[in-house]
Amino acid sequence: MVVKVKNLVKRYKELIALEHFNMEVEEGEILGLLGPNGCGKTTAINCILSLLSFDKGEIEIFGKKMTPNSYDIKKQIGVVPQEVSVFDNLTVRENIDYFCGLYIEDKNLRKQYVEEAIDFVGLKDYVKFHPKKLSGGLKRRLNIACGIAHKPKLIFLDEPTVAVDAQSRNFILDGIKKLNEEGSTIIYTTHYLEEAEMLCKRIVIMDNGKNLVSGTNEELKAMITTTEKIVVGFSTIDGTQVQEIGKIPHVIDIEKREEDYVIKFENGLNNLSNLLEFIKKNNLTYTKLYSQLPTLNDVFLELTGKELRD
Amino acid sequence: MKNLFRNCMYQEKNLYRDKTFVFWSLIYPLIMAIFFYTAFNGIMNIELEKIDIGIGAENPIGFILEEIELLNVHKISEDKANEKLENEEIQGFIDNDLDLLVLKSGVNQTVIKEILDQIKQIGKLNVPIENFDFTVDYIQSTNQRADAIIIIFYALIAMVSTYGIFPGIETVSLIQANLTNVGKRINITPLKKKDFLLAGVIVSLTLNLLSNVVLLIFVKYLLKIELFTEIKYSTLFITIGNLFGVALGILIGSSNKQSINVKTLLGITITLVLSFFSGMMSPDIKILLDRKLPMIGKLNPISIITDNLYRINLLENTQYAMKGIMILGVYCIILILVSYGFLRRKTYDSI
Repeated sequence: MVVKVKNLVKRYKELIALEHFNMEVEEGEILGLLGPNGCGKTTAINCILSLLSFDKGEIEIFGKKMTPNSYDIKKQIGVVPQEVSVFDNLTVRENIDYFCGLYIEDKNLRKQYVEEAIDFVGLKDYVKFHPKKLSGGLKRRLNIACGIAHKPKLIFLDEPTVAVDAQSRNFILDGIKKLNEEGSTIIYTTHYLEEAEMLCKRIVIMDNGKNLVSGTNEELKAMITTTEKIVVGFSTIDGTQVQEIGKIPHVIDIEKREEDYVIKFENGLNNLSNLLEFIKKNNLTYTKLYSQLPTLNDVFLELTGKELRD
Repeated sequence: MKNLFRNCMYQEKNLYRDKTFVFWSLIYPLIMAIFFYTAFNGIMNIELEKIDIGIGAENPIGFILEEIELLNVHKISEDKANEKLENEEIQGFIDNDLDLLVLKSGVNQTVIKEILDQIKQIGKLNVPIENFDFTVDYIQSTNQRADAIIIIFYALIAMVSTYGIFPGIETVSLIQANLTNVGKRINITPLKKKDFLLAGVIVSLTLNLLSNVVLLIFVKYLLKIELFTEIKYSTLFITIGNLFGVALGILIGSSNKQSINVKTLLGITITLVLSFFSGMMSPDIKILLDRKLPMIGKLNPISIITDNLYRINLLENTQYAMKGIMILGVYCIILILVSYGFLRRKTYDSI
């Protein structure tokens, strides 16, 4: 086990930021810490990194207790904080070289690592730029380069794609996959469920300082009753007919979303053909009709009663 | 050691590319020097103009007065004296009985009176006035100088020597995870706080001393004001002033969670108030404090530096120098110890 967090409790006076939070990260995996803004993801990371004090709990990294003085553990960790954390008056190359130099003493090796990091984040054309001259997306890439240039075994990425344009976002996500392929274990916090689904081998879903569930994408989706969603846009339909749809086998909920209806089914076969038969029988016409598998948002919705996007 | 050098190098780059730092540590002292030079130089270099005086035709000391370069002597009758005094054609009239008549008081009238009193005094010594050589200066000249503008410049140098306060604030902000994002990042690297801080202190001291050197060169070669005759003690006072500034900056930086701008403002206010009490804006304030609350002058670090620079360079008196250095040294130790108390915590309650 690379990281083991047991019963972590963190209070800010009356506010409970983390309530018996547990997490285990295995070597070589990308673990996603998913939850809405303010649910305690960053607090958990800061406690794990010994930046924040905590009231209760145990934290182990690489099998050793993590403390502020655990410099041998810190040497193997790379952190990409949520905010861009670089020196404003150093250039791109100087920033990466400075932070890499805190881990790598050998000058030649450091030089090689710095160049690799610059290539990795695609900042080759900007090496002499100061951070304030970079766009938001490029600043985020620099932030990442400063955290990973020393090739750490364990990387914490705290919402690295917040406020980033689509191009930089894809670049960052591809880079994270590559880092993992090169052998780094990654802990990735995000409130974007698509990113977690796409990137993470295992996901911990958090809300109100607690970890609600954890497992692979498939395991999490298997935990909920909704197994299929069919979205239909009807030309015309009255209230009685909508109620009738609810009687189709395995339908558990009908939700009106703008002009469309989202019909949720529990585990069962032929859901789509059953619905099409109902449409035909009632002489209804539709403008669109498609089937969806449940998302992590559905998992979150079923567990908490609210949308992850809220 | 290698790590220390790298930290120094990058911190120096980061600091000296900071426009705010460059302004306060390099440009602002030069502006102040030019301001003081312009404001006070005119006051201190008053060129005395010749004073017009009237004397009676039979005035017994008329021939002596005519010899004095400062005076323009006009022989006039007593009747016309009043008219000329009213028209300010003459500043005073000395009659044949050596009585002085003036219509108002002022510097010129005082000068005339002093000259007249001196001549009368010599007369009373029964020395024949013809035998008295007025070209002989009976005051032995030494190299002791007194010039108010120089004292103001010592106060300015004392103030800017404490400007290590600004890099001190900057350095400590960069190591505190609850103050800056860079601080957060550094705290999760294997770099120890004390190593970063040591590099910060070295860089702060070096850069501020360099700024001081620039100011001193500017004052010496461009404003042509000679300030230092005693280099050893002067260097010691400026260096310890720098150390005091850096230590105070570290304390201001570490003791509260205000923004760096608020802290910089606090640093400026503290140095300006201490400089004000040390007489930088007006020597009268210092005289008043020395009379009413002498302890303030004795404890004010900028006063200690100003007074000692004045004593050792103008009066050639090094008697109190060690005492001053020791007081400043104690200040530095106290500031560093209190800062250590704030900085030693390893984790934060909130970020």
